[in-house]
Amino acid sequence: MASPEVHHLFHHPIADHSFSADRKALAVARDNNVELYTRSGSKFTLQDELKGHDKTVTSVDIAPTTGRIVTCSQDRNAYVWEPSPTGWKPTLVLLRINRAATFVRWSPSEAKFAVGSGARVIAVCYFESENDWWVSKHLKKPIRSTITALAWHPNSVLLAAGSTDAHARVFSSFIKGVDERPEGSVWGERLPFGTVCGEYLNNEAGWVHGVAFSPSGNALAFTAHDSSVTVVYPSGPDEPPRAVVSLSLQVLPFLSLIWNGESEIIAAGYDCEAYRLQGNEQGWQIVGSMESKGRPGLGEMREESALNMFRQMDLKGKSKDDTQLKTVHQNTIATIRAYDVAGGNVKKFSSSGVDGRVVIWST
Amino acid sequence: MATANWRTINIDLLDPDSPSNFSLTSLLPTLAPVSLPEVQNLSSQIRQLLRGGDTEGALRGALENAPYGGDAAAKDLHLQTVSEILQSIKQSEMSPLLTRIYTSPGGPETLDVLMKYLYKGMSAPPSAPGSAGGSRSLTPQATGFSQIGGRVGGGEGGGQAMSVLLSWHEKLVEVAGMGCIVRVMTDRRTV
Repeated sequence: MASPEVHHLFHHPIADHSFSADRKALAVARDNNVELYTRSGSKFTLQDELKGHDKTVTSVDIAPTTGRIVTCSQDRNAYVWEPSPTGWKPTLVLLRINRAATFVRWSPSEAKFAVGSGARVIAVCYFESENDWWVSKHLKKPIRSTITALAWHPNSVLLAAGSTDAHARVFSSFIKGVDERPEGSVWGERLPFGTVCGEYLNNEAGWVHGVAFSPSGNALAFTAHDSSVTVVYPSGPDEPPRAVVSLSLQVLPFLSLIWNGESEIIAAGYDCEAYRLQGNEQGWQIVGSMESKGRPGLGEMREESALNMFRQMDLKGKSKDDTQLKTVHQNTIATIRAYDVAGGNVKKFSSSGVDGRVVIWST
Repeated sequence: MATANWRTINIDLLDPDSPSNFSLTSLLPTLAPVSLPEVQNLSSQIRQLLRGGDTEGALRGALENAPYGGDAAAKDLHLQTVSEILQSIKQSEMSPLLTRIYTSPGGPETLDVLMKYLYKGMSAPPSAPGSAGGSRSLTPQATGFSQIGGRVGGGEGGGQAMSVLLSWHEKLVEVAGMGCIVRVMTDRRTV
């Protein structure tokens, strides 16, 4: 396992990050702006800033093929940023929400994106060429609280949403004229806009932090604040799911998770490190941490001369500096994303968190 | 209306779709109601196990049948049963017992329930074992923890019970981890 590539961008929380398709550009949500970094050698340098939001930016996503950037913020707005000769040009999206926008993701087709919000709606947005702007349709029922996370099914029609009402739900976001009619799947055959294809709740009813579809789209995983990961295997429309596997963990809750193939999940959160989980319909278990223990740098720090030790004791009243966590991230990991995917398997993934670091890990 | 302080108006009450205007219970799993006699019956069965020396069986039985749907008196009686079991187990037996429960099927959930009882025990004023509950003053909130005020009446007899609970807490966190504490704080099913 190669050691992780650590980029300490600044001393400020990173709400969300996104890499461009060629992995040369990195967008990072910092306060009210989105900062664009480009790779030069082994480092990322600040290239541009997307200014437009007047409250904290909560989420950012770069579309892989079109290169468009979508951002959303607590100011209840979302912008689509397109490159132009004079710089990035924002287009306002009509979200029609009266609370903060919390989460945004492009659909795999990149023809639309979904914005989760505190107004108990998901705005599914698409471009209307006759009016030349982005409009939205609302997914409302039966959401009873803030949407915290969204994930797209590979067919770009089904959308999974996690909410603070402790439910993970799967909706159809089929929009006529934008989407092609999807093939029937385990989630349903006919899928008009707003169909609820599944609604899942844990026994402990912790609010949901992260959701993810498996690469095939036939399983849904979500992580909640009851420190659990639940994997749902649906069997067909209007039938109870084939298996719902819920795993209670010893560690602090996860905030974000991604699938690596159909039988592995990588998740990270309040424990400041990423964990690997493996399993199938029969059961899941936590396999271990993604951190390689005994990293170079960790030992060097501990090696101290006697002089230094006494100096530390004199200055700080203790000989060891224990303000450093043993993990790469020094604070909560807020987002993990796949970085390098080959045939449904994640070769590398990236994480960002409250400590202002973006780290690229190899699995 | 010019004098109305519009900043203090709770706009959520004016919105029919707002969470202030629907019952939270519609979102949560329903709990089967448990009556006081059922809990009394259960607690006498568990005492029997305890007298027979089967502390592990008694603890499991008590934790797996926690009266989530019971009223305050039923929950209180069960708390007393559980704390009696906890006090009858020696400190050296705690860790092996917890590890055995944790590795058995359904074990993590059982230990979550134990953590709930530990926090509830720390929040409630202790009482002499044997006196059937119901007459004791209850903590005003149904959360089961964070009630430091509820401990005021504890007196000198409370120290002993509290140290038992604290050593259980320490051992339990070693086995079930921090996730166990987070689950207890998140779970709306209180004991």
